[in-house]
Amino acid sequence: MARLIVFYAVFAAWVVMWGWFLVREVFVKGAIKDYKVLISRPLEGRRAYVTKDNLYEFLTFCRENLPRDSSYSLVGPEPGAIERVRAVYYLYPRIESTDPQYILVYGTPGVGHEGYRLIKKLDDSRYMLKKIEG
Amino acid sequence: MALLNLSTAILFIIFAGANMLCLIFRRADTGLSMAEKLAMAYGLGIGFISLEMLALSLLKMRFTFFNIAAPWLVILIANVILLSKKAPGHSIKPDLSAKDDSKILVLKIVLQAGIALEIFYAFFRALIKPIESYDAVAIYAIKSKIFYLAGIIPSDYFTALAKHFPHPDYPLNIPLIETFIYLTLASLNDALVKIVFPLYFIGTLAMLYFAVRRFANSNYALIFTFMLATIPQFNAYACNAYIDLPLAFYCFTSAIFLFEYFRDRTRIHFMVLSAVMAALAGWTKNEGLMYCAAYIVTMIIYFAFNLKKSSVKDIISALLYVIIIAAISVPWLLIKKIFGLVNNDMGLMDMSPASLVNNIYKLGPIFYEFQKELFGPKKWNIFWAAAACIFIIRIKAAFSGHRRYVTITLFLIISGYVLAYMVSPIDIRFFLAKTWSRFLVQFLPIAVYWLALMLKDDIDL
Repeated sequence: MARLIVFYAVFAAWVVMWGWFLVREVFVKGAIKDYKVLISRPLEGRRAYVTKDNLYEFLTFCRENLPRDSSYSLVGPEPGAIERVRAVYYLYPRIESTDPQYILVYGTPGVGHEGYRLIKKLDDSRYMLKKIEG
Repeated sequence: MALLNLSTAILFIIFAGANMLCLIFRRADTGLSMAEKLAMAYGLGIGFISLEMLALSLLKMRFTFFNIAAPWLVILIANVILLSKKAPGHSIKPDLSAKDDSKILVLKIVLQAGIALEIFYAFFRALIKPIESYDAVAIYAIKSKIFYLAGIIPSDYFTALAKHFPHPDYPLNIPLIETFIYLTLASLNDALVKIVFPLYFIGTLAMLYFAVRRFANSNYALIFTFMLATIPQFNAYACNAYIDLPLAFYCFTSAIFLFEYFRDRTRIHFMVLSAVMAALAGWTKNEGLMYCAAYIVTMIIYFAFNLKKSSVKDIISALLYVIIIAAISVPWLLIKKIFGLVNNDMGLMDMSPASLVNNIYKLGPIFYEFQKELFGPKKWNIFWAAAACIFIIRIKAAFSGHRRYVTITLFLIISGYVLAYMVSPIDIRFFLAKTWSRFLVQFLPIAVYWLALMLKDDIDL
């Protein structure tokens, strides 16, 4: 009988904590806000939301303007940052390279590189440089 | 249309896995319930379809639904012929050996509702977002995208392309099955593809329920299934496209069937199934190979304890266990060796005794990080604290009877992780902070099963 009482006490504690963690995640930490936005968007819009709309817009811009077999270097996101990882994923089959055909600049105005010229820009902090041939 | 295609993909996976189950059991009683068969068919289907896709690529055959499906139709015909030769009156009964004398209906309803809620929430969280978590994108989704766009594993993938991305040595089970789902969807829908993970979640819960049901009533089994389903870290990994939960499924099912084989060594098919699932664990993530080693050692220890009751047939069974694991694991290990695919972080591991001695200082941070998780209710509720208490109070019982093999297995697994942490060249605090809470997910179902075994004589529901 004592063991059953201990069991029910522990089970009740478990259920209370479970309920609290669920409520905390959905309402206190605001997951429900994310869910409302995500439900209202199509797949492309959801990708933009999780990647951050500003970055995703830039990646879409790069995908539309870079040849599929081109190489690039990304300036802006820190090495190892989630933004860089997602950029590599969304830009594939374009590949990162140490000697790229294109330099993609995100969130960093006024970046130039010797041997490269500005070819297209979304705005002053999001633009593409191309290697000057010859 | 997308949902119809997705359903086709999942049904085909289960169909392939059911074929493998038939091949393993042939005319023998499986002793499994329908839910267990579905869960096992799902895990087997994924593992063998991805292995098949690897083989197709090596044979320079493109991934088309026909190329992937055709061999399974041949296996189906073989299975139909084998099953049609069953003796008359042969029936397959589930092995629910415990009487269901559950008394408290309200408890049953509450537990089932809680489990259903977590399952629904896992599907919702998985499918609402595309793949976006760090490792899920950097290590796995990029590979499935490469394979899908090429329609094959590209010929330069192992020689050049893989080295552009992190962890080229990681096995390709999940990336290839993601590719298969993209193929069936005819699009790179990286939201719908995440259905793989909550299905592994359900499969693990089903296997735990029926594993506990073998020695306890349904209320008792539901308690521990509810416990596993509601552990925040576990259900979080049902939706983030990390590989740790699929690995947990294979490791857990392998362990369960090994323990069932120990209970009744006439059930040789359970031993075969355990070996297959252990090998598929190694095909899912590198840590799976450590589980293979742990289970082989557990088997050796089992036979050492039961030497007088063992026969030549048992020794052959143990050898067969190793052979099955090797047969499934070796192709990928060979590919890694031939193409020099090395883990950037683990490739420099020095496993010598001298290295172990030199790294003994790492035990402090390791045990510090372990105790942090023990008292981490946000990720684990009170599970690890409860398990630790029960172990301390019931230490003699933990090493007695059938339970000792489960306890020993858990010790071997934890020792494997400690060893890896000690010999890894990565900064220990960084490595622990980034990985230990994920590694715990990998053997959590085994730990929950262990707790169920430990408490079965104390709680009468």
